[in-house]
Amino acid sequence: MGHRVLVCDDAIFMRTMISDILTGAGYEVVGEAESGVQAIARYKELRPDLVTMDIVMPDMGGIEAVREIVKADPDAKILMCSAMGQQALVVEAIQAGAKDFVVKPFQPSRVLEAVQRVLG
Amino acid sequence: MDVRQYADLFLSESREHLTAFNQLLLEWEKDPAATEPVSGIFRAVHTVKGMAATMGYAPVADLAHRVESLLDGVRRGERTVTPAMLELLFRSADGLERAITESVTGVDAATAVAPVLAELDAATAAPGTGPGAPLRESRPSVPVIVPGTGPGKGRTVRVVLRTDAVLKGARALLVLRKAETLGPLSAVTPAPAAFESDAFDGHFSFRLDAPTEAAAIVAALGRVGDVEKVEVGEETAEAPALAPDALRSRHIRVDLQRLDELMNLIGELVIARGRLHAIATRFAEPDLHDVNGQIARLAAQLQHEIVAARMVPVWQVFDRFPRMVRDLARQTGKQIAFRVEGKEIELDRAILDEIAEPLVHLLRNAVDHGIETADERTAQGKPAVGQLVLAAVRERSTVAVKVTDDGRGINREKVIGRARQMGLIDSEVAALGDEELFRLISKAGFSTAERVTDVSGRGVGIDVVATAMRALGGSMEVRSEEGEGTCFTLRLPATLAIVRALLAKVGDELYAMPLTHVAETFTPRAGDIQRVQGREAVLLRGDLLPLIRLRDLLGAAAPAVPGRGQPVIVLELGERRTGVVVDALVGQQEIVVKSFEAPRGTLPVFSGATILGDGVPALILDAGGLV
Repeated sequence: MGHRVLVCDDAIFMRTMISDILTGAGYEVVGEAESGVQAIARYKELRPDLVTMDIVMPDMGGIEAVREIVKADPDAKILMCSAMGQQALVVEAIQAGAKDFVVKPFQPSRVLEAVQRVLG
Repeated sequence: MDVRQYADLFLSESREHLTAFNQLLLEWEKDPAATEPVSGIFRAVHTVKGMAATMGYAPVADLAHRVESLLDGVRRGERTVTPAMLELLFRSADGLERAITESVTGVDAATAVAPVLAELDAATAAPGTGPGAPLRESRPSVPVIVPGTGPGKGRTVRVVLRTDAVLKGARALLVLRKAETLGPLSAVTPAPAAFESDAFDGHFSFRLDAPTEAAAIVAALGRVGDVEKVEVGEETAEAPALAPDALRSRHIRVDLQRLDELMNLIGELVIARGRLHAIATRFAEPDLHDVNGQIARLAAQLQHEIVAARMVPVWQVFDRFPRMVRDLARQTGKQIAFRVEGKEIELDRAILDEIAEPLVHLLRNAVDHGIETADERTAQGKPAVGQLVLAAVRERSTVAVKVTDDGRGINREKVIGRARQMGLIDSEVAALGDEELFRLISKAGFSTAERVTDVSGRGVGIDVVATAMRALGGSMEVRSEEGEGTCFTLRLPATLAIVRALLAKVGDELYAMPLTHVAETFTPRAGDIQRVQGREAVLLRGDLLPLIRLRDLLGAAAPAVPGRGQPVIVLELGERRTGVVVDALVGQQEIVVKSFEAPRGTLPVFSGATILGDGVPALILDAGGLV
């Protein structure tokens, strides 16, 4: 336990919700980012064990951010957070190096399953 | 596993994707801001890449990969589309086509693709295309599809995702990534490109070439999430020949030769049915008549089904023309709006294949000689952009394919001049009707093009097209108006092989006349026949109908039985009509056309032969040669 997580989403609502789910399960949210550019910077700075990444964000989207993060750290564990109907984007994110995905609206149990799979 | 057995399938499927590639490029060229063509092209190229890699055609896969990289930049907005890039993509499509053809025929296509590869690399690496344009090489690739890995040990793994799983394609991809950690994958079915589609149903399979225990595979893949079921097949040295996907799909591909063979067999069956019918009429046995009727119905249904199975929509051939016309227009510096109509009309596959070349010729002619340059058109008060239309229209039992342009039309004076030179017409002829015009331009070696161009070349003329049409049992006509344009019409039977025909007798011989061209039959009274300009003709509802006596044509020795009036079969080909005088009409029947290689020197009036139900042979008359 005690894995360190970086939460990336442009909506405060979503960041809060994800953080609550994760902290409730014993994870430590060490940072948040609201854009792709910020996500990359925060990743390099914090070196978290896991990143949750929204796909559509201003100022560089999530997929691009995944690509850059994986380039910097091939072992990065990134969990994509997607909306329904973004299949092609999720596929692209996985090709870019994301390890798993969850689909909004989030069910806490599903999010935690995915987090465990990625960290496992 | 030996992948060569899939080469034909690979070839036909890749060509479909290349056609799509070209079509989409044309759309894109019209509207460079559109995004749909880009993703469409991307998918097409991506699929070709996957297939080529599976086949072990590295140069094809390599070229496809680089096209993908270039497009990827555009898709991401890192690169803007320029005319030069579109040109490069058109060249890439050509390069792919060539590389595919060469690879399939066993030639190493590396040399063929080298120039365009270099261009693509240069374009992808070009500066000013946006900062940090990521090198595609650094991008983790799609699950690797290992080209035929030889007879290693491996298993087929089938995975079913939970029905309530969301984004099944993405989940499937994760399963594949997991499987990849166990060993190399091949034969991923459906192709990974399908995973991006929302239609993907969560069933997929692949071959895992690793000596891993089945239980270990199930456990590893089960952990990916949303996995309902993992089935691991027995360890085998060869991948199964038939992908499970083919079983689920509602369409299968069948070798055309198989269909031809089936058609032949059904042809024989129809003949046997005819014999049975002939025998049955000799006996008053109710059971025999029953079974005869039943067999007739079944054979008819079978025949109908196989004919339907051979029908394909014309777009399968027409779709390659927009690209061709575009290129021709560029070469000749003309502005042309090209339209294809009636794409969904269906034709027998064999006929469709046969008309592809003639259509290429007609379209080239229209671009090269028909449509004027923008300047010429403007000077004549015509819109600068020339219209060229390729249309398929269903007309009862035939399909008409028309090539229409609004160009300068055929210059009749030149045709007359050339015809005089060749001694084809009398010097006093000063005007030509459309039919006469067609008769002249379809003569071998007749061409009024003043110079040899890159586009139309030399030596192939309308005569070749006309001959091809006749060989198919079709016909051809032209309408041309000087300054207004030209329209060539090809009339084709919708299906070959089995046709309804009228049987006629001359002496003791039987002749079959396909009903496609038979307008009517009648029996004139002896006094009705008159001689006009040295030819026999008869008045039919006020119009003079020229007559041909089949007996004379065939050189039958015995004179016709005098007395009773002889029936006349009226043949109609476009607007031309001719009456064929025979000794007697025998009836209508379905006949199975057997292709017919007429020895040189024989009359050009037979298009084939058939064997009738009672085993009697009959020659099939070619309406095109008679009218």
